[in-house]
Amino acid sequence: MRKRAWLLALALAGLTLSLPAAFTKEDVRVHTLENGLKVLLIEDHDTPSVALYTFFRVGSRNERPGLTGVSHFIEHMMFNGTPAIGPGEFDRRMEFQGGRNNAYTSDDMTVYTDWFPPAALESMIAMEADRIQGLAFVAEVFESERGVIASERRLGVENDNDSLLAETVRATAIMAHPYHWDVIGWMSDILSWRRDEVMAYYRTYYAPNNAVLVVAGDIDPARTLELVRKHYGPVKPSPAPPPVTTVEPPQLGMKTVVMRKEAQAPSYQAVWHAPSVKDPDFLPLAVLAKPLLEGESSRLYRRLVREEELAIDVSGGISETMDPQLFRIDVKPRPGADLERIDRVVEEELDKVRRDGITAPELEKALNIVRTDFYRGLQTVAGKANQLGATELLYGDFAKLFTIMDDYAAVKIDRVKVAAGKYLVERNKTVGKLIPEGGAQ
Amino acid sequence: MRRMLRTMFVLALALALGAPALPLQAAPQLQTPAKLVLANGLTVYHLRNADVPLVSFRMFIGGAGSAAEPASAEGVAGLAAALLLKGTSTMGADAVAEALDFMGASFSIGAAEEYAQISGDSLADHFPRLLEIAAALLTEPAFAADEFEKERALRIDGLKAAKDNPGAAIRPYFQKAYFGGHPMGHLAGGTETSLGRMSAQAVRDFYRARYRPDRAIAAVVGDIDEAALKALLERTLGRMARPAGTAPAPAIPPLPRPAGKKFLLVDKPDATQAYFILGAPGYAMGDRISAAAAGMNTLFGGRFTSWLNTELRIKRGLTYGAGSSARQWAMGGLFSVSSYTKNDKIGEMLDIVFDLLRKGARDGFGAEETESARNYILGQFPPTLETSASKAAAYVRLAFYKRGFDEYDRYLDEVSKLTPAALKAAAARLLPQDDYVLVVVGKASEIRPLLAKFGSWQEKKVSDPDF
Repeated sequence: MRKRAWLLALALAGLTLSLPAAFTKEDVRVHTLENGLKVLLIEDHDTPSVALYTFFRVGSRNERPGLTGVSHFIEHMMFNGTPAIGPGEFDRRMEFQGGRNNAYTSDDMTVYTDWFPPAALESMIAMEADRIQGLAFVAEVFESERGVIASERRLGVENDNDSLLAETVRATAIMAHPYHWDVIGWMSDILSWRRDEVMAYYRTYYAPNNAVLVVAGDIDPARTLELVRKHYGPVKPSPAPPPVTTVEPPQLGMKTVVMRKEAQAPSYQAVWHAPSVKDPDFLPLAVLAKPLLEGESSRLYRRLVREEELAIDVSGGISETMDPQLFRIDVKPRPGADLERIDRVVEEELDKVRRDGITAPELEKALNIVRTDFYRGLQTVAGKANQLGATELLYGDFAKLFTIMDDYAAVKIDRVKVAAGKYLVERNKTVGKLIPEGGAQ
Repeated sequence: MRRMLRTMFVLALALALGAPALPLQAAPQLQTPAKLVLANGLTVYHLRNADVPLVSFRMFIGGAGSAAEPASAEGVAGLAAALLLKGTSTMGADAVAEALDFMGASFSIGAAEEYAQISGDSLADHFPRLLEIAAALLTEPAFAADEFEKERALRIDGLKAAKDNPGAAIRPYFQKAYFGGHPMGHLAGGTETSLGRMSAQAVRDFYRARYRPDRAIAAVVGDIDEAALKALLERTLGRMARPAGTAPAPAIPPLPRPAGKKFLLVDKPDATQAYFILGAPGYAMGDRISAAAAGMNTLFGGRFTSWLNTELRIKRGLTYGAGSSARQWAMGGLFSVSSYTKNDKIGEMLDIVFDLLRKGARDGFGAEETESARNYILGQFPPTLETSASKAAAYVRLAFYKRGFDEYDRYLDEVSKLTPAALKAAAARLLPQDDYVLVVVGKASEIRPLLAKFGSWQEKKVSDPDF
């Protein structure tokens, strides 16, 4: 990162919350190609390495019954061959040049993450541009990758009681919106995706006008843009994908999920419908999550783990999503703990928040946590690429990254109480319990 | 939310040495830090890095890890580390948690095998307060009786709960099966039985004997200058008392070497997937084989296109991830292979693993593969030292193992010269053929018949206490 003087700081609530001038909006060069591909370039020569992140506006919120999990499946198939580059060849070529990659799929987006030495830049851009123009979907590779996903589901959901409960709690709380299912998809869908349907889905969402490319690190921006134009310029745009129009209807009363399964420890989760990232109530709830749930000094950790010794751990918070999703409280109870008692403690603590809100020191703590986490995320070129791209997709403007700290600092303390009273209420709540049976109990 | 990663398995190649860097770099990988020696003998390395307004801190205290525990007090190192956070003579546990959380700081104390590790980071403005708290915790711990009872109960419950996840539970089973009664077999988290028998006095004794500034090495990297840091250190960590007498020498006996094949099956009746770890002797920190071993491991199981992941995941779809890794300690190392698959495929998976182990040791790797491994390690190295925290960790680690701060330059230079012959020699030494420990966790009624052909299996039930 280039060294410059710190930009100082509007002081709000006794805090300085601006970004250091070492990384500003002006450090991001923005170009949009004629085919709609948005390109963000960040030059940073501290480390001889480049992070190339490609964000597609497609995630499980774009899926439908029968095709659940398909966004994540396509994420896998993106490494399994195109007409020009054979199955597995993307990884082999990349690793041969000293590069490594990964990818992730969320409810809202699919992101391809490449880290490589500067000499591999053109090759990487060429391979990334190639794989948005058509995948081979070779039949036997398709079947083999289906098996990989099934294994991933068994690993991450079926053999993990907390995830298994979370999947059902989510599906119970969210009835109509596609956030109903988890990113991994239902097992029966995984086992029956059809090649033609998967290809049609891919063609709908993998287009330059539905993507954002972020290149950060040891690059020459002018030459990088030239390479992007050369390889992506000829790619045709696609018709805009259909919008997600389903709106989750209001919940009119508490829902309860009870699962029984062989286990040593029970699970407890509670969720409430919550607003999307762009809603004015989002930040007050994000602030609330810190003193309520984060760290050993948080209200619920102190009550449930320290004082009453009902739980091993407590976590949760509000989902950072395009459409309204959930505020979660996840409690890992002790073996044998009384789940009704845990639920009562959760409600007692929420009562206090709904009645009295949070304290000024708690607000300051929340802002300190947000600010420290924010800088931790900007320590690497990969972190910058990820935050810029995710912000562009979630908020429609990457520049929001450079003002979000100010927005947090501007949250009025009373808004936290109001938002808690509006969202974290019984009629909006779904509670899930996993009760151990058999085994060691 | 963003939880579906394509490659979740850790690319563990050469983790000990940090990991993979760019060829032909004139500049050193790691800048030489300033060395500050406090009046009490504590050495602290410092590098200023003002890219973001954060400061990172690391400290190793040699001989305060789980391998230094008395055999009668397994888990005492981890328990002592946890209890250090639970209050001082003037500040209760809740006040400590509140002070740390208020700053948004991260701060942890934990026990590895050979050392206790203290890690923290905070905004630069808060760093003096962070070190003041750290010093108070390390020099005036309360070790209050009620906190001891709470922490012990929490850890026992945590051990039980962890057994619900077979992918996590297999690791302590493997560590026990492999190291047996050797001190490296001590679980940092202890066991239900050992924690049940633990006394608060054992924790205080361990702390008094083992938390010595003359066995500690620290590093501070971030947005703080040397003069300010020096003054801050003297009034904080400089208060750790230099104990009388010389520091106890590390007394870890040579690591055990499996003779023949040892098989353990752990029954988890509700598992829909079977998990395995196969382990054999690796190599010690600083062993001349390090670069060749990293190259070999990259190709065998250390990256996405490795042999293991290609055969088990890419070609056959048997698993989400398969890999191998090498861990190093001063006294030796461990090479291990691991993966998981549907219960009915575990026999097929292990057949393939054994085939690959034989093929690697017999045939080694080709010239193009060797070139790819070289490029990969060199290309992936620079980002491993990108943050202040990773630099601080590297300084402490290298100083602890007396490797010198040019270690990575020498290592990467060796990597850049790796030949197929060197990789084959590393494979012949490290890929186990006849002497290893293999642990499988899964639904025994379904997988037992598939495993019988490999040999005679000892069995345990996941629902039984301990590992």
